[in-house]
Amino acid sequence: MSQGDLDATLRRIAETKVDRRGFLAAAGLTGTAAFLAACSAGGGSAAPSAAASAAASAEASTAASAAASQAAVESFPPAGPIEKQLYMYNWSQYISPKNIDAFKAKYGITKFQYDVYDSNEVLIAKLQGGATGYDIASPTAEYVPGMVQQGFLQKLDKSRIPNLVNIDPKFTKLWWDPNDEYLIPKDYGTTGVLYRTTMLPSVPKSWKDFYDLVKGPASGKTVMVDSMGDVFVFPLKMLGFSANSVVKAELDQARTILLDVAPHILALDSNVYGTKMAKGEASMALGWTGVLEQQMADVKDKGYVVPSEGTIFWLDTWVLLADAPNPNASYAWLDFIQDPKNQAEETNYNLYGTPNDKAEPLVDPAVLNNPAVFPPPDVFKILEGSQDTSSNNQRIDIWEEFKQNIGK
Amino acid sequence: MTALTGDAPPRPAGERLRSGLLTSLLLLPAGLWYLVLLVAPLAIVVVFSFGTRARNGGYAPAFVLDNYVRAIQKSEPFITSLQMAFLGTLGCLLVGLPLAYFMATRAGRRKGLLVLLLVVPFWTSFLIRTYAWLLILGPDTGLAGIVLSVTGTEIQILGTGIAVLIGLVYGYLPLMVFPLYVTLERMDRTLLEASKDLGAGRWATFRQITLPIALPGLVTGSILVFIPMMGEYVIPQILGYGRTYLMGNALVTDFLEARNWPSGSARAVFLIIMMIVTIAGYIWFVNRGRRTREVSVL
Repeated sequence: MSQGDLDATLRRIAETKVDRRGFLAAAGLTGTAAFLAACSAGGGSAAPSAAASAAASAEASTAASAAASQAAVESFPPAGPIEKQLYMYNWSQYISPKNIDAFKAKYGITKFQYDVYDSNEVLIAKLQGGATGYDIASPTAEYVPGMVQQGFLQKLDKSRIPNLVNIDPKFTKLWWDPNDEYLIPKDYGTTGVLYRTTMLPSVPKSWKDFYDLVKGPASGKTVMVDSMGDVFVFPLKMLGFSANSVVKAELDQARTILLDVAPHILALDSNVYGTKMAKGEASMALGWTGVLEQQMADVKDKGYVVPSEGTIFWLDTWVLLADAPNPNASYAWLDFIQDPKNQAEETNYNLYGTPNDKAEPLVDPAVLNNPAVFPPPDVFKILEGSQDTSSNNQRIDIWEEFKQNIGK
Repeated sequence: MTALTGDAPPRPAGERLRSGLLTSLLLLPAGLWYLVLLVAPLAIVVVFSFGTRARNGGYAPAFVLDNYVRAIQKSEPFITSLQMAFLGTLGCLLVGLPLAYFMATRAGRRKGLLVLLLVVPFWTSFLIRTYAWLLILGPDTGLAGIVLSVTGTEIQILGTGIAVLIGLVYGYLPLMVFPLYVTLERMDRTLLEASKDLGAGRWATFRQITLPIALPGLVTGSILVFIPMMGEYVIPQILGYGRTYLMGNALVTDFLEARNWPSGSARAVFLIIMMIVTIAGYIWFVNRGRRTREVSVL
């Protein structure tokens, strides 16, 4: 095509009047695309791609995993050469970058892929929707039994993870994996009350204090994490029941308390509630300890308390996914991360307690003595392991009703 | 007698077959796209809506109507969404119509630049643009902070329905402006002159000439804006601080927290049906009493 032709063509294109039909069609397409992009950007996981396979896999995989676990009891796949990549599916900012670099250097890993999810539900929804290709994930322990039943995990060959001896026995053989076959503890934490002492007349020490403050001086300045299981701890523990209760009468009473405080809540936010407290928008929060250093680092009057009536402790775990493409690299990682030195680095980085007691002496003393990170033994006595109660319809109904009444 | 009246002579069979085949082939990609990405997922959702929750969450095959009963009983998020989407559409109209009118009639040489300014932010991430409003309305650096430092009164914008509305109108404004702009641009200016010559004032001209001509664009814009607003999730979550519970939030509770796919699917189907009814009603309302149907979605 000669230059003159090109010119003529371009001029013709530039002078074409966009007619109404064309423009509206383009707008319609753009709008649809934007809508879809907004949906996916909004953080909700996309509808399962192979839904039929998801339905089938729910049935078939229970049978398959039963058969597989029979085989697995007999023998694990043999160790092979360590692959050059590792696909990690984890919470955001949950592994120290120094550890990642050290691991890559030590084993010659060239590709350490780190994908994130922001809730256990999203992780499970993605796996149920057919997501594959990940080696290791980090679900909270109470979701592991469900994942095992659905065949997402493979049993761990503990002979390949010698550093397991460093794990504190009180974190082993817990109800969610009584024989420690599928998970390795990663770190643990509690759900409690964060507060700013200069913004409150008194420091909350119990859920009852929290309740009084929310309805009083902290009204309109209290944030809760957007997590059903954690928010329910507050009314249930305040009433003296188990935080995992599914008893109708107990949940009815919890509902009354939740609806009582709903009008005084500022926000339900699991992501930037620490920032809200740092800015002074909120003076109190029901949440976790991570934000104390990540979002409230410069706040001088911050505090965290495990309420006296008790609360849940959650345990985040390392699990090996059933279809892990790089099992040797995965085992290398699992052993590497339980090295006390690396565990100490983890705790220094994300400020959640490590279940590895050989690591404790190596942790930064300021962190070690922080009761929010390492609860003292007397606090441990009032901690209850959390359970997955998301199948209980009454809880869901109460949770929805609570969400609809916030701030009214 | 003359070939100008009557139908054209029938074409030879071979040519008809070939052109029919060609048409089908040309339609195949789009047809496949719609089948796989629209019809099939919709069918799956409808099938799921009659099922029950599997033990660990998800779908278990069944045929029960419980989910629809629940969707209808717990319709508060739907009603809130209707209110928000209606107000949001109205807001887009109030902001978008003057803007589109200005761009179409008064902008002159700057028309292209204005269109560009409207379109380019639309291409950036929706999520980032929503987060930006946290800074604009926020209590320290934003509007609320300015009000606080100037007048000393503490107002709260973020976390209220107003913040959600601002986010909705801002996010979907281009979708309202484009159809309006295109329709108004093709308006014959001489009609306005004629109207003024005949003695109509500016408001009467606007009401009787401009508005009816802009009507197709208006309807298209409202529909393009109303539908996504009904399903909005991000804006009530971030700007509304989780305090406004819309259908998008309800679906997230069902699918991600309860992992009850059948219940969520029933809610989704309920939403789709109600929206079809609402929009059909809207189009009927606009067209009643008109001789020619002014509405074409394209």
